[in-house]
Amino acid sequence: MIDGSLFDLSASTTKFLILSSLLFVIGVGGVLARRNIIVIFMSIELILNAVNINFIAFTRHWQVLGKINEHTGELFTIFVITVAAAEAAIGLGIVVSLYRNRETVAVDEIDLLKW
Amino acid sequence: MVLTGAAAWFFWAFALIALIAGLFTVLSRSAVHSAVCLMTTLFATAGLFLLLGAEFVMGVQILVYVGGVVVLFLFVIMLVNVREERLENARLFSRQWLIAAICATVLGLAMWFGIRLADPYQNLRAEIPPAEATEAKTNPQGATPVSKNSETLAWSLYTQAALPFEIASLLLLVAILGSVLLARTSRQERIDERSVFRD
Repeated sequence: MIDGSLFDLSASTTKFLILSSLLFVIGVGGVLARRNIIVIFMSIELILNAVNINFIAFTRHWQVLGKINEHTGELFTIFVITVAAAEAAIGLGIVVSLYRNRETVAVDEIDLLKW
Repeated sequence: MVLTGAAAWFFWAFALIALIAGLFTVLSRSAVHSAVCLMTTLFATAGLFLLLGAEFVMGVQILVYVGGVVVLFLFVIMLVNVREERLENARLFSRQWLIAAICATVLGLAMWFGIRLADPYQNLRAEIPPAEATEAKTNPQGATPVSKNSETLAWSLYTQAALPFEIASLLLLVAILGSVLLARTSRQERIDERSVFRD
């Protein structure tokens, strides 16, 4: 049961952290580089998802280390999912009304507030 | 915490699916393909939650994210015309895409070194065997043991996190009202104003 190195096949907490950091980086790249505002929203969901993996992995880590009733990370994840749902509803409402006014969803064409 | 055996294989499968689908969420040309790839990533993450013993969160993830948020995305893609992006000469990325890629890579390297510094593959190693395994052996019925995750999680949710729970319900109410107000057309607004002035 010893997690000797990074390159054996067993899945340790560290590997969950690395997976979630890779997903986070993919999401950040999408937010910074894409033009379509809907895909930018999807990348934000990817970022939140990566953070959720971290929370659950650490909750499991503490549970395995002996704190059986440790649920703080899972509670955080539930609230993150709730807030993400609210954020998606409001953000996509903004996208729809933006498209109705400006006829575009490309973020570099929406430059009214740019100096 | 170490998963071995079949659980480790499932970890690698779900991790690969999540990473590849996440990459295609960002890179694909059609927004509908992005939404479907996002759905795949969320399903794979739900599988990872199941591997980590968080059954309730897995259910919430599938119900809320896959059943709610992704379907909402698909509706908005249907309402908003993104068809011109499918043309070959349309630009998918903004002009600062190179700087964005460099920033994301630097962020990833920073997190990699953070993980390496915090955990030289020793601190996060589990020496104690998992509590569920011993519990499963002493199950008197001899049947498959039922996970206590939902029960204990509900207990913590209504004791530790009772106030945030109520605040979250208020947030959802405000989100419903806000999205209804935002999505009104100008014609509907005019009709509403007329009825207000008539009264």
